[in-house]
Amino acid sequence: MKFKWMVLAMSLVSFSGVASGFDLDKFLQDKQNKDKSTESAPAQPPATATTKEGAVTPPPAKQKIDVQQLGFALFGDYSLEEENRIGRQISGNLLGAVPLVRDDALQRYVNLVGNWVALQSGRSDITWRFGVLDTEDINAFAAPGGYIFVTKGLYRLLDNEAELAGVLGHEIAHVTRKHHLKVLKQSSLISALGQVAGSKAQNSDELVQNLIGNGAEIMARGLDKNAEYEADRFGMVFAARAGYEPWGLPEVLQDMAALPAKDARTSLLFKTHPLPADRIAKLGEAVDGRLDAVQGKDLASRFYRIR
Amino acid sequence: MRNTLISATALLLCVSAAPAQAAPGTALRNDKIYSQPSSGSAVAGSVAKGASVNILSKQGGWLRVTAGKTTGWMRLLSVRAGEGGLGGTGVGDVVGAATTRSDPSRVVAVAGLRGLNDEELKQAKFNAAELAQLDTWVVTVAQSKAFAGQASLVAIKVPALPDPKPAKASSSWENN
Repeated sequence: MKFKWMVLAMSLVSFSGVASGFDLDKFLQDKQNKDKSTESAPAQPPATATTKEGAVTPPPAKQKIDVQQLGFALFGDYSLEEENRIGRQISGNLLGAVPLVRDDALQRYVNLVGNWVALQSGRSDITWRFGVLDTEDINAFAAPGGYIFVTKGLYRLLDNEAELAGVLGHEIAHVTRKHHLKVLKQSSLISALGQVAGSKAQNSDELVQNLIGNGAEIMARGLDKNAEYEADRFGMVFAARAGYEPWGLPEVLQDMAALPAKDARTSLLFKTHPLPADRIAKLGEAVDGRLDAVQGKDLASRFYRIR
Repeated sequence: MRNTLISATALLLCVSAAPAQAAPGTALRNDKIYSQPSSGSAVAGSVAKGASVNILSKQGGWLRVTAGKTTGWMRLLSVRAGEGGLGGTGVGDVVGAATTRSDPSRVVAVAGLRGLNDEELKQAKFNAAELAQLDTWVVTVAQSKAFAGQASLVAIKVPALPDPKPAKASSSWENN
């Protein structure tokens, strides 16, 4: 029995990415029961044990289980399917608050630029979707699974395709660096997470909704500052790799730095992101002279101007 | 940004020979002012973090600035547009005015506009129809490659930028 549990635990730790059908609650219960029985039993020899399959398992841990840590170990990564479902739910909710601009040419153009930049990100296992949101608010959003949104207000600030590529690059980086998934993983909703991974949740969007909170509030909470700085670094590099001049994103940040402080269009942006001046400064430290030799295009002539 | 700065500069040159009154900016770090937009050119001077500069024009990753008696080129990322020193929020100023008001292609009535807020996002209900609409604009890899090709965009190798030096405890973002 004990060996069976250990083999189960080991295989789950090793293959956490494919741990669908696993019930975390039951696992925790089993583990706690097991620990109780271990405590009451005479001390076990600390020798390693060998299973029938020949896998070597370590001696059982002495310390109390940290549920949070266990969650980390078991869910080193969300599966692609989980990621897509989470991203779809967040995006569907966001679109419930703000609709898409009804301009096929604009949306198609943004998808073409975005997909080309995303091709340079090294993440090819997802379908990238880009949308311009019909609001004058100045902001952009990313959700797991490759959902990227730019507001019409932000789009209006842009002067050329390189700037669009830089903005989209920043959002693409949030997806490739899995910033939102890390927030979810660190959240206290560890048991909901267990249910999401469980087979009984396969058909229930409610469990995904439990994980992400109310509506699209995860978009109002924002990310860690360092995640934003990291997305700036990667976003600039993705745009440069795509053949654009790398200075698009910094130029947009400069435009944001110059906006009136009390502009209501930026209140959510500045609540969820470090101030533009801080982002420019951090980016400056990382870039220094490293991109001096990059000769990219800005493609101002091809840039789709919003009506 | 570039266009507005260049046109603003051109306008100033045409209208008067007065000292440049271009967009104000603030140095974000101690940095050099070069005589040309290249770190290989002669150093014309330097600025201290927090110093005020006047931004005259832009070229690639460089800004032509005047700082005190020195005019030359600084790295774009060493300066922030706007007055008000290093602290505080983004500040409404000459550049803001230039980008939001004087350019007729993007006149936006700022007054009365309300931004997105937390409550709207919290209350948002799943909209399957909009999500389906989003799917109609998805493009294929082949389509985006063809689109890049039309503008002679060529993918190049650019190494990732270094992570910042750990100032204090290392960021949890890098570790899990």
